[in-house]
Amino acid sequence: MSTSILSLRNVTMRFGGVTALNDVTFDVKEKEILGLIGPNGAGKTTVFNVITGVYQITSGSIEFQGKSLAGEKRYKITRSGIARTFQNIRLWGDMTALENVMTATDTHKRSGLVGGLFGSPISRREEKRDKKRAQELLDFIGIGEYGDRLAKNLPYGVQRRLEIARALGTEPKLILLDEPAAGFNPAEKVELAKVIRKIRDAGYTILLIEHDMSLVMKVSDRVVVLDFGQKIADNTPQKVQDDPRVIEAYLGVPEDAS
Amino acid sequence: MINLRDKGAEIWERANRPQRVLMAISFIAMAAALPFLGGTFLNTPIADYQSVLVYPIAMFVLMAIGLNIVIGKSGLLDLGYVAFFAIGAYTMGLLGTRTSLNTWEILPIGIAMAMFSGIILGVPALKLRGDYLAIITLGFGEIIRIVALNLEVLGRSGGIIGIPTPPPIFGIEYAFDSHRIYYWTLLIIILFAIWMVRRLSVRRAGRAWESIRQDEDAAELMGVPTFKYKVWAFVLGASVGGAAGVFYASKTLFIAPDNFTLQISILILACVVFGGMGNIWGVIAGAVILGYLPDRIRFLSDARLLVFGLVLVIMMNLRPDGLLPRKKREKALPNKEKP
Repeated sequence: MSTSILSLRNVTMRFGGVTALNDVTFDVKEKEILGLIGPNGAGKTTVFNVITGVYQITSGSIEFQGKSLAGEKRYKITRSGIARTFQNIRLWGDMTALENVMTATDTHKRSGLVGGLFGSPISRREEKRDKKRAQELLDFIGIGEYGDRLAKNLPYGVQRRLEIARALGTEPKLILLDEPAAGFNPAEKVELAKVIRKIRDAGYTILLIEHDMSLVMKVSDRVVVLDFGQKIADNTPQKVQDDPRVIEAYLGVPEDAS
Repeated sequence: MINLRDKGAEIWERANRPQRVLMAISFIAMAAALPFLGGTFLNTPIADYQSVLVYPIAMFVLMAIGLNIVIGKSGLLDLGYVAFFAIGAYTMGLLGTRTSLNTWEILPIGIAMAMFSGIILGVPALKLRGDYLAIITLGFGEIIRIVALNLEVLGRSGGIIGIPTPPPIFGIEYAFDSHRIYYWTLLIIILFAIWMVRRLSVRRAGRAWESIRQDEDAAELMGVPTFKYKVWAFVLGASVGGAAGVFYASKTLFIAPDNFTLQISILILACVVFGGMGNIWGVIAGAVILGYLPDRIRFLSDARLLVFGLVLVIMMNLRPDGLLPRKKREKALPNKEKP
């Protein structure tokens, strides 16, 4: 069994009277693809938001590589090795695809504004290196030819992939994909499944939110199911599919069943 | 309507290095030759043409470049930009009349003072966004003016008189009425500011600002230290404003709180918006036109401001993104066939 890279322990997140996450505990293991599913409003995106520091959890703990993320600034969490994509695409539309990825690669630059202004050797070297790296990532995701296009003018599917490339630009160890296949046709979904596996094979760990069951079941090594903010299953895709509680959460139970 | 900005960028991108150098030199030469064109239609009736070139035109251009870093690049609405101009001017006024320091020695001090106040204002204010930030900066601009109006040492409403002109540098004399010399000096400062902004725009800082302007939360989540870069934008904008202020005080020899009203902030903002937020050439064009126009039509006397306002309204209707808007065009695809 490989070691855990991210662990959520008894995580509870309340917004006023609404409990979005209730005592959720699970681990993400190194180099696995963990699917996170659940009906609408189950708290999947909230999980992403508490991991990346958008929300501060009410109670519980989140540890990434043995270090607590509590109170950490959002950009520092990203620097420590967690990157994400967004359910509703949030690229910087007025920048080119390449610039979008390069902004992410800037995360680990040593040179800042002053070095850039005076063209210090470190700054120049890093600029060159990251430009190359950004293009590599675009190629890796299969959208290399779109580098010079403004993000807002890209086809929808390419934008979704660019989000993944941008997340990879921060050189993460764990990447959180929030419904990467939303709005895709079946052929595009097959392509995406390949890309996701390719990312894992390149050494990244993936936490995947997805509504398309066949995609999740196909690519995931393990699946965690949330319902009304609670974890109701954590198992292999096959076993999750047969779990009566999961079926109940998705389909409901007949009224006369006892 | 044709996009002049894209046309210009296209010509520039196609040019090779010597051609670019040539273009840059001819532009600078044209700008430097402006004081000699007083006899042509460019001449301003009533106001002294060469003096108009220094203030408002060149001063506005410099300040608009500074404010563009804050508003155009980073999307932070700053309505109190005049404060940094005032801080630079009063630093010059105070040190110039009370110490033996000369303008060139005070210039870095004035810039440092403006940058420092940029930090003082920016650190608390930049935790806010949008309208709230605008209100805070608006207040800051007024605070600086009112402080100047009430402090004995700053001369209260009388201001500071007898500010020395810059001492000769490289054998060039700065007589108070040789406007050309001031204009050319400002031109050099402007060129330096353009160099700074262009340099930063294509590197990490420029990308950080651009990402903050477009989606600050996404930027933060992609590892951009947004707060740090917002403060940097403020501080760099302030430094340009401060430099303009020092030079302004040394040119006019007399400053008073009335020179630093909210109206200046709004006018500079108008230059940025009118020219095209985020695009340095647009901003320069906007500042030149808005600085020049009121003096050009001064013969209209009272109707002058009405015409000025009308021009603004009509232009913003015709070109809501400004004269030369920010980059819209994409570079040609690399795999596109060349004829």
